[in-house]
Amino acid sequence: MKFAHMADCHIGSWRDPKLRDISTDAFIKAIDKCIKEKVDFLLIAGDLFNTSFPRLDNLKAVVGKLKQLKDMEIPVYIVPGSHDYSPSGKTILDVLEEAGLFANVFKGTVENGRLRLSFAVDKKTGAKITGILGKRGALEKTYYEKLITENLEAEQGFKIFLFHSGIDELKPKEMENIISQPLSLLPKGFDYYAGGHVHIVDDKQIEGYGRIAYPGPLFPNSFAELEKLERGGFFIVEGNDLKWEPIQVYNIEKLQLKCDHKNPEQIKNEVLNHFESKELNNTIVLIRLFGVLGDGKPSDIDFKEIFNALYDKSAYFVMKSSHAVTSKEFEEIIAWKRKRN
Amino acid sequence: MLIKGQVISGEFGRIIARQKSGQSIEIGELLIADSGEGKILLQVYDLVYGSQISQQNLEMIAGMKLEENTEFELFDAELRNYMLAMMKSLATIRGKNAFISKSLPKVFSEVRGVNEKDLEFLAKPKNSLLVGNLRSGSKLLDLPVYLDGEKVFSHHVLIAGTTGRGKSVLVSNLLWSAVGRGYCGILVLDPHDEYYGRNKIGLKDHPNRGNIAYYTSKNAPIGTNALRINLDVIKPHHFDGVVDFSDAQRQCLNLYHKEHGDKWIEAVILEKTLSIENAFRPDTLAVVKRRLLYLLDLEFESNKLFCKGIFQLNSGFATISDVCKHLEEGRIVIIDTSNFSGSVELLIGSLIVNEIFNKYRFYKMNGSLNSKPVVSIVLEEAPRVLGREILERGPNIFSTIAREGRKFKVGICAITQLPSLIPREILANINTKIILGIEMKPERQAIIESASQDLSDDDRTIASLDIGEALLTSNFARFATPISIPFFENVAKSTFKNSEDAIEFSELKS
Repeated sequence: MKFAHMADCHIGSWRDPKLRDISTDAFIKAIDKCIKEKVDFLLIAGDLFNTSFPRLDNLKAVVGKLKQLKDMEIPVYIVPGSHDYSPSGKTILDVLEEAGLFANVFKGTVENGRLRLSFAVDKKTGAKITGILGKRGALEKTYYEKLITENLEAEQGFKIFLFHSGIDELKPKEMENIISQPLSLLPKGFDYYAGGHVHIVDDKQIEGYGRIAYPGPLFPNSFAELEKLERGGFFIVEGNDLKWEPIQVYNIEKLQLKCDHKNPEQIKNEVLNHFESKELNNTIVLIRLFGVLGDGKPSDIDFKEIFNALYDKSAYFVMKSSHAVTSKEFEEIIAWKRKRN
Repeated sequence: MLIKGQVISGEFGRIIARQKSGQSIEIGELLIADSGEGKILLQVYDLVYGSQISQQNLEMIAGMKLEENTEFELFDAELRNYMLAMMKSLATIRGKNAFISKSLPKVFSEVRGVNEKDLEFLAKPKNSLLVGNLRSGSKLLDLPVYLDGEKVFSHHVLIAGTTGRGKSVLVSNLLWSAVGRGYCGILVLDPHDEYYGRNKIGLKDHPNRGNIAYYTSKNAPIGTNALRINLDVIKPHHFDGVVDFSDAQRQCLNLYHKEHGDKWIEAVILEKTLSIENAFRPDTLAVVKRRLLYLLDLEFESNKLFCKGIFQLNSGFATISDVCKHLEEGRIVIIDTSNFSGSVELLIGSLIVNEIFNKYRFYKMNGSLNSKPVVSIVLEEAPRVLGREILERGPNIFSTIAREGRKFKVGICAITQLPSLIPREILANINTKIILGIEMKPERQAIIESASQDLSDDDRTIASLDIGEALLTSNFARFATPISIPFFENVAKSTFKNSEDAIEFSELKS
């Protein structure tokens, strides 16, 4: 049995015209890789789209790839995520499922106010797949609290559980502020827990549970994620082997510059000097500035000149984060306010 | 209203009343002496015999009965032999207000039993915390005793009593009363795994159970957390008051931390190099390594570290911050420490308490402390970290909180059988004490000397406290209040919610 596990594709997430197709491009590359690897089926653990109703051109491209998988008899199993779920219950996922492009495995019945999930059985491999969707604000937690686990745990065979939630015990320190839920809410005894929602690449064997894996996003969804992950990817699982397949859409070049005791002119020159010898073709450039200026104001830093210089070097896209740069005067006001409090 | 006696003499703090025949007066009983200025609330602290017959004659009468079997009937026996009650004045009541008494009841004032109407001044405060029911001697009055929980928890609580007198029941009741109220977050280090109620009625059955977080290392029940703490979050200062490292060993820990940062424990175990050669004697590092391996339940083989217990290399990164978040959001966090040694329990406590205390210090600095709930740390066998002997080796985070935590809205709720082991200056900082039965005089004395109200005459009252009876003394109570602690099951059942909230699975497909 060989399957692919992806999550958090967030098709249509970036708003800038130059980036808004980037997650679609990543998805296309990922599906091509799945086809090349001859996977038996594909799991998508939530947030295929960034909204419940994505832009038509993005949708068209995704439908095209899903249709290609269908034609090649590679089934796709999904759960909705916190982004492509809609509180009104209306989502494009329903339309795509109706068209037979994938199966939403959040299926079952309600018994005495409790949730009894049923399994989707993959015809070719016999894998039994079920899962719970993700909702905004981690509201899916109540579903887990009402979940009947006995039938899920007693089921024999190779079992996969799709989920779109953070797990308290597994989330990294830098994600301490995301709402997550205890590990104990997951039903026990599955062979593979296909996670989404938390944008980390993680793979752990947990006693009593099995393998719990998060592939991370298919393409990073923010400046900070681009800085940290540089690229997205997904898992290909075959037997006990799990391989993370990176998806490289653009190269990444980044600079983190401490601005303490410097003036805007010095900062501009340092940034330009840093990239002078770099090859920036087909590259997203990330510039993060932080610290307290020795002289001048953050708004005096000539980003226009920096951006022009980098685009002249054929950079695909340039981004900056300068909110952590302050002027001396601003720091003095903060210190005074602290003292007064 | 039945008259129980009459004031005959005494002085301020020692008012003597003769008991009326046919009435009984008990130690600890609350009585009322009506006076022109209002009612004076009195409490009996001692009982003695009184007689109009001389001691010599009383002895003779007993002798005739015992030795010669002579029936001897006294003329006007009830008039000649009686009881005398020693009482102290607790408060002067005027209408629905009570004040500290500054006068004596008139000689021959009649004293009667107290009733609920007399005690209307015991109003329910804003952030009410149910402590128990008012008790008069051994009689239970139908009057719940509330304190302002926000003030009580920030100014520290001591719960003292011999084993089996009801400390755990009291703590369960306090926690039950505080769940979901929002004014306090409470961290409970639970060495007996008794408060959550894994296999019995417990806090898990509270109608606001969503405000309870439970962390355990043993097969976490559904919806609760497996306790895992990443090694990276441990710093050398977390061992203060937890493990008695020598100065040299402490320097070793600090140097490794300085050079290897978050990965310092791994560096110690694997004996990674330091920039300073021969900084320690080899045996110092060997001892530190051995103690860390044992304490943190680690193993190493082929130069690789393995975690066997709750301290982990690859998970539990956010556990401490999650616990702090729960506390800051006014939840009750129960950490089941029943599987651990005392040192591990205190290390877990030290990790959480350091973090939350630092956060609250920061909130005070940036002016946002007022919007935060009070945080209280419930600690069993408190002398382990607050004991005189421990503190002689240096302060720890728990003693720091006991001394200065209230300025930052962080308090300790210390539970102990041996309050005398806690230094007086710390006991004096604890503004609420709930005293259960204590047989040992030095223990009673330690509390009496540091109580918020004058308990100098209450030694016998405390010694005579039965199971489930307590004396509450607090800066936030009008007087040292005798209370009865209700059974936890009764408290819990009275607020049970039998039906579960129904939810709609609107996105579920059949």
